[in-house]
Amino acid sequence: MQFLTDPLQFDFFIRALLAVSLVSVLCALVGAWVVLRGLSYIGDAMSHAVLPGIVGAFLSGGSLLLGALVAAVLTALGIGVVGQRSGLKQDSAIGIVFVGMFALGIVMLSKVPTFTSDLSHFLIGNPLGVTTADLWGALVVTLVVGTVLYAVQKELLLASFDPTEARAVGLPVRRLESLLLILIGLVVVLTVQLVGTTLSVSLLITSSAAARLLSRSLPRMIALAAALGIMGGVVGLYLSYYLDTATGATIVLVNTAVFLLVLMFRRKE
Amino acid sequence: MALEDATVRFEAGTFSAIIGPNGAGKSTLLRTLVGLLPDYGDAVHFDAGHTAQDCISYVPQQQTLDWGFPVTVWDAAMMGRTGRLGWLRWPGRADRERVAAALRETGVYDLRHRHIGALSGGQRQRVLLARMLVRDGHLLLLDEPLTGVDATTQEQLMALLRAQADRGRAVVMVTHDLEQARRWCDHLILINKRVVADGTPAEVYTPQNIEATFSTSYLGHTHAEA
Repeated sequence: MQFLTDPLQFDFFIRALLAVSLVSVLCALVGAWVVLRGLSYIGDAMSHAVLPGIVGAFLSGGSLLLGALVAAVLTALGIGVVGQRSGLKQDSAIGIVFVGMFALGIVMLSKVPTFTSDLSHFLIGNPLGVTTADLWGALVVTLVVGTVLYAVQKELLLASFDPTEARAVGLPVRRLESLLLILIGLVVVLTVQLVGTTLSVSLLITSSAAARLLSRSLPRMIALAAALGIMGGVVGLYLSYYLDTATGATIVLVNTAVFLLVLMFRRKE
Repeated sequence: MALEDATVRFEAGTFSAIIGPNGAGKSTLLRTLVGLLPDYGDAVHFDAGHTAQDCISYVPQQQTLDWGFPVTVWDAAMMGRTGRLGWLRWPGRADRERVAAALRETGVYDLRHRHIGALSGGQRQRVLLARMLVRDGHLLLLDEPLTGVDATTQEQLMALLRAQADRGRAVVMVTHDLEQARRWCDHLILINKRVVADGTPAEVYTPQNIEATFSTSYLGHTHAEA
């Protein structure tokens, strides 16, 4: 038992446990839609596309989170506009908008006199550096995202399963998609600064994909993705504590292993 | 654009079939009716008091859907209520009763807890029909409902659609199954880029019309030999 309780004497470890669990729930809420709608690329893209917002906020002395959010909303809307006007497939639209935004961020970054640790913490989060304020922020975002997604769940479900029928009954399919992209952006912004890019993408995609293989309904898929994420997070945190390895990457490896196990042993219905 | 010119009318209480070879414009006509082609939004006229969104039930070709989607048979049928319920309204008892009735009518009530991916082609088509019934439209549009469906289910589906027409709905299906259409429908439309023939099976089902409709595709071979 000491094996389990030993790390709990450190507050940072407890905060990391809470952060990973909260972020797992948050990522499961949007991750289900990311996986079902083939938007996996967006998680990675969003984490880069918010750079100009963060650097802009830093240069002007504003809130980094707010700057990132503005950039995420602009990216989501930009992807929608490019996709609809050009008729290109969505992955191309995402690619075009995200590298443009990322490059803009890099150019702006070259105007920052010194690359401070403040900024680097925001860009590359670490579960072990989470503060209590971060946790409250994550809880608020989880509640907001969960409420919005619950409110539009039946519309989003129809628009994802059968977009033709959704249009036939008059649902604003494209606006729903933009809303989803904005929510994904919001989640990515928050999770990246909390747990880093790699882990945030892993929680968004790997856990939800594993859950999809095992679930026959959407609520179950979301619940299972959250449970798998929390489990991977807890196991990964302990492993990294005792093996003295990079925390985020260790959790990602656990998640990947869980996915592979599910893939090998799932019982096809 | 596959379809060059077509003017057709669908009456309540009628079971119509749109028939033609591949590339004849069957799907274009159906998609125009559904309102999926925005450039042709004003090409469809409904009788007074109706709009596309309040009266159309659309059943897509089942191959166009992702059957690995995490929904049960019940969930899939309940999707038919989405348009009726509106935003921020959740299904109530009446909606659940409607879904149960539709699943019983299409014969898949016992499968309601199953994942849709676990169903056969015929069962999938029944689920789509249940969703269509749940939607409660006056104009039912079906894209190739007989494709990938076993013979027994085909008969049951056609009887069900026939019954919908007899209850006063306008049922329109796109199909390449001329025989089934002739047996069950009271209105046939043969198209090949344009309307070749439009009327009752007796009027439409003539060798000349059939040849005119299909002559550029598989009957073309016969022509070359003649």
